[in-house]
Amino acid sequence: MSVKLIVVVLCAAIGTATGYMIMRSYRRNFEYLDGLCEVVNELKRNIAYRRDGTCGVLRGMTFKCSLLGKNVGEYVEFATGKQEKPNISRGFLPADIHASACEFFAGLGGGDGGSQLDVLNMYADKFGAMRSAAETKSTKYGGVAVKLGFLVGLGIGILVL
Amino acid sequence: MDELFRILPDEYVGVIKYRILAEKLSEVRIVNRAPVRVCYDGSYRFLCENGLTSDKHGAFVAGERAAEGVVMRACERSLYTVTETLRHGYVATRGGIRIGVCGSGVVSGGTVAAVKDFSSVNIRLPHEVKGCAENIFARAVSGGGVKSTLIVSPPGVGKTTVLRDLCRLVSERGYNVLLCDEKYEIAAVSGGVPTLDVGCRTDIMSGMSKTHVLTAGIASMRPHVVMVDELFAGEIDCVENARSCGVSVVATVHAANTAELKSKRGWERAIGGGLFDIYAVLSDAPRRNTAVYEGGI
Repeated sequence: MSVKLIVVVLCAAIGTATGYMIMRSYRRNFEYLDGLCEVVNELKRNIAYRRDGTCGVLRGMTFKCSLLGKNVGEYVEFATGKQEKPNISRGFLPADIHASACEFFAGLGGGDGGSQLDVLNMYADKFGAMRSAAETKSTKYGGVAVKLGFLVGLGIGILVL
Repeated sequence: MDELFRILPDEYVGVIKYRILAEKLSEVRIVNRAPVRVCYDGSYRFLCENGLTSDKHGAFVAGERAAEGVVMRACERSLYTVTETLRHGYVATRGGIRIGVCGSGVVSGGTVAAVKDFSSVNIRLPHEVKGCAENIFARAVSGGGVKSTLIVSPPGVGKTTVLRDLCRLVSERGYNVLLCDEKYEIAAVSGGVPTLDVGCRTDIMSGMSKTHVLTAGIASMRPHVVMVDELFAGEIDCVENARSCGVSVVATVHAANTAELKSKRGWERAIGGGLFDIYAVLSDAPRRNTAVYEGGI
């Protein structure tokens, strides 16, 4: 009896863990986009008064999302070095977010203050919309994924018996 | 030199680092699709794999967008930080390096709104020559004050170097000096700290116009002396105002000699009216000396 119970608990635990991992992936996307929005806002604030270079602004920031920190480091390496274009790692990012991030970093600093602000405003809207979608996905579907994972695991456990 | 190495293509950096004496370099001229020239120890040569050459056929040939590459690296790919100076034909970078930039102007309403399609750059390296202004200093600082001085020289002879040293010497003597570093090349302030020695009693206003420094700067900083580089005829009124406030002005101007200075349009009143007490004329190679005139030219 105890063996059967352990099998059921184990299957439920594996299912829950899978659901949790799905929820984490949604959450990571949200954290990445949230950090990216903060980058855009910080650059906008800086251009409005100090007009420091993008590298100077980015070097002074800290990031909750380690992949964003890595991407910013890659951009700074490109901007201060002699590469032709930035090499932005994809990590856990889905293709659309990665493409947008690459496009954003490649276009940074390419115009005068006014046009740079326009570009940043455009990205603030774009990343803001993506962040809202990721947040909805994270809260709504993340919870569902955990519950569903638990139930599927439990179901599999019962079926195995 | 680290800053120069950061902005130049790697193939030139290797040669400058290991094949020539980098400290003798004063200019690097890069023109798209043309041989790369440098001013080395006072004369122009071509940069090649083995160092320097007089033969342009053996020289490095700059790439099609080499000038753009230099400008973008100089501003760390933040073009908006240098748009204003680009309109005036240069980009100032760390360590007092000034990059003269040529390209196509985008004209809007009769003024240059932006510069695009960069075609050539002239990277000018600053040199600190401590003591090079001692003879001017000896004449300018006497009788308990600093005499207003005009340093006259053609471009590239070293008037900025002399002005920097004079600034240091006057400051070290105990006078409050207000330095107008419009192009970030005299004190080369980076992050609020000067990277070249201009003296411990020197207040520096970087990136601001001479007219602003000669009016607002005097009102706010109470200097004994104001130092400005590359004075133009349109700014003489401000110098007059400064002098009427009891402040001495040390300035530089482009002219080959006193005769050329006298014939410059707009300068008659300044020279005839005794705006400056001392004139120091720097001569180019091969003589390379400084003639100091007191009480008029």
